[in-house]
Amino acid sequence: MLAGVVWLLAWQPSPPVPEQRRNDVVVQYWEKWTGVEQDAIQQIVDDFNDTVGKEKHIYVDMLSMSNIDQKTLVATAAGEPPDVAGLWDTKIPQFGELGALTPLDDMAAAHGITAGYYKPVYWRGCHYNGHLYSLVSTPATIALFYNTKIFHENAAELRAAGLDPDRAPRTLHELDRYASVLNTFKIGPDGRKHLDRAGYIPMLPGWYITDMPIWFGADEWDEKTKRFTLTDPGVIAAFNWIQSYSIKLGADAVTEMQTSQGGFNSVENEFIAGTVAMEMQGPWMANYIHHWKPEMDHDWAAAPFPSAVGQKLVTYAPFDALAIPVGAKHKKEAFEFIAYINRQDVMEKLCMLHCKNSPLAKVSNYFLTHHPNPYIRVFEELAWSPNAHITMQCPIASEAGQELLALAQGVVALQLDPETALREAQVRLQARYDDFEAKQKIRQRDR
Amino acid sequence: MRRIAIETRNIPKGLAFISPWLAGFAVFLLLPIIMSLYYSLCDYNLLQRPVFVGLENYRFLIHDAVFWLALKNTLYYGALSVPAGLGVSLALAILLNRRVIGQPFFRTIIFLPSLVPTIAAAILWKWLFNQKLGLINWALSPLYSLLHVQGPAWIDQPGWVIPSLALMSVWGVGNTVVIYLAGLQDVPRELYEAAELDGASGLKQLYHVTLPMISPVIFFNLVMAVITVVQVFDIPFMMTQGGPNRASYFYTYYLYDNAFSYLHMGYASALAWIQLLMVLALTGIAFWSSKKWVYYQGK
Repeated sequence: MLAGVVWLLAWQPSPPVPEQRRNDVVVQYWEKWTGVEQDAIQQIVDDFNDTVGKEKHIYVDMLSMSNIDQKTLVATAAGEPPDVAGLWDTKIPQFGELGALTPLDDMAAAHGITAGYYKPVYWRGCHYNGHLYSLVSTPATIALFYNTKIFHENAAELRAAGLDPDRAPRTLHELDRYASVLNTFKIGPDGRKHLDRAGYIPMLPGWYITDMPIWFGADEWDEKTKRFTLTDPGVIAAFNWIQSYSIKLGADAVTEMQTSQGGFNSVENEFIAGTVAMEMQGPWMANYIHHWKPEMDHDWAAAPFPSAVGQKLVTYAPFDALAIPVGAKHKKEAFEFIAYINRQDVMEKLCMLHCKNSPLAKVSNYFLTHHPNPYIRVFEELAWSPNAHITMQCPIASEAGQELLALAQGVVALQLDPETALREAQVRLQARYDDFEAKQKIRQRDR
Repeated sequence: MRRIAIETRNIPKGLAFISPWLAGFAVFLLLPIIMSLYYSLCDYNLLQRPVFVGLENYRFLIHDAVFWLALKNTLYYGALSVPAGLGVSLALAILLNRRVIGQPFFRTIIFLPSLVPTIAAAILWKWLFNQKLGLINWALSPLYSLLHVQGPAWIDQPGWVIPSLALMSVWGVGNTVVIYLAGLQDVPRELYEAAELDGASGLKQLYHVTLPMISPVIFFNLVMAVITVVQVFDIPFMMTQGGPNRASYFYTYYLYDNAFSYLHMGYASALAWIQLLMVLALTGIAFWSSKKWVYYQGK
């Protein structure tokens, strides 16, 4: 019986490696993407396995999974991490601070991947505490998508309000005015006015709602002083602006509009269905529009999301990170794969398949002219902008993000006064960070 | 004397037979329980060594507004879903216990939702609760028109989300119904006959015969429901992510976030121990009160 138990514990399913590659080093690659994005990355993995991998006797075995951050972390703590982990950029500071990731500085430099190779915003995002902890698989910049058909159908009303129907709003105040003209209402069965089409709603889709302060010239975290800055007037103004839509349209109307949509990846998507005229989105939206409603391909455009304080080309620049967890068994081979993805031709292929901009400084003309998003130059320009922001470089960013998301939901539901709520969150989060830092100091002292 | 000697001789054999379970219990249950008690006294993030902080996690808990909110949400959900679940399942069991045509069909129909995987149920109910496209608001729309009100946003409105989840929990009472049915079939027929001879109506028979006779089953279901409610996690995790504005942020969800999102494993362990004490206290109250309302045959 004991022998049976030992055999069961020792038994491991063999990886799905082709017979002829059994002697190669197998790099375990965990990736968060599913669906078409997973298919795209699988294409790149297959390309690698058939070319560089074959030549260097490396075989990459990709596994797609949910909750990749938590699984990677637990596997790292258990000493059995994957060789490459496709993490969210928001996790890099937390994982880096806790020593869960291998610094890639030397390996990257040896492959010629240095600061000049990348667009500055993404190079910054791959670093934490002066170390390079990841490279990019696919990046994005966030912009304003607007429905040109709705704009043209309402050209007279827009002109009457002193607005140009042939362009996107250039200031946040102007965006509010466009939204106001494009809102339409209908009488519901309850005899009340309901929002039938929204010009703009901050919580649709709301993915970047907690990053809104950057369009108000403010940050929520000061990396130098290691302090949250939630009481900064710009942060308060951003959350007041978010709430202004619930005040103008009614919290119930906003809730009804934002919750009665189908899934993002569906024909019921609010922007694709035309129930929202403007939306904050990443370049990938072009792929989804084309997939679900190809007849809409020429009825939309993208422009930089306007700033409230007159700054030009303000954007949030998230990315998918490729990192090597501490304890990975094949670090050198893992980096060969990461470096392969970071080759200009490979990166451009992947970014075109994912319908995203490139993180690299050099971009080919082919990429710009054949990209599935006809406005890719807008996203590229945003990525180069000095006003492009990366995720909060704070080791308790996960906690802060949850706190701020709940706060935003309360603000939209008119349950919370933005300033009061932000003051309370400031105290709570700063105390959490101070405690975290104190414990880290104890660990360092006792080392 | 000889029997005792034989039994003593057999102890090693007995231990050998249960040793796989003992080993599993020690490694996968006892050790983690002891470790979690230790971690609850530490600052621990899984990757770095634990720093002993004494009772700091427990002290922090007292001043943690989110802890109290999660606790309040859990108790509110329990206050709605436990009585609703017990009441509805008992009513269904009583109906299904009657000899009617198609009884097995109805029993199957009632039990079927219990077989639906949680993730499928979550997706299904998310659509049912959709304010504009959902079947619930569609079915109730004549009523809304009559009352000149708008159908609620169910899981997307802070005030409605917990009642909505409690309503959903009633859908999966099939298991409880089966346990009630087994209890109902154990009630001696002659008690009903005697009650009928005494002129007791159906309602009186229910109150004076059925309920006392199945009170141990009700008690069992109550204890199980309380334990389940304190640990509720999967449905809000999939359907609401604790929102909006943490209105459906339950205790176990907060524990999970602390453990795996924020990496406050020490604090999460403290939360787990408080949760255990809470379950013990609630179960203790149920046991204490059971002396007054649970009737055991033969006692």
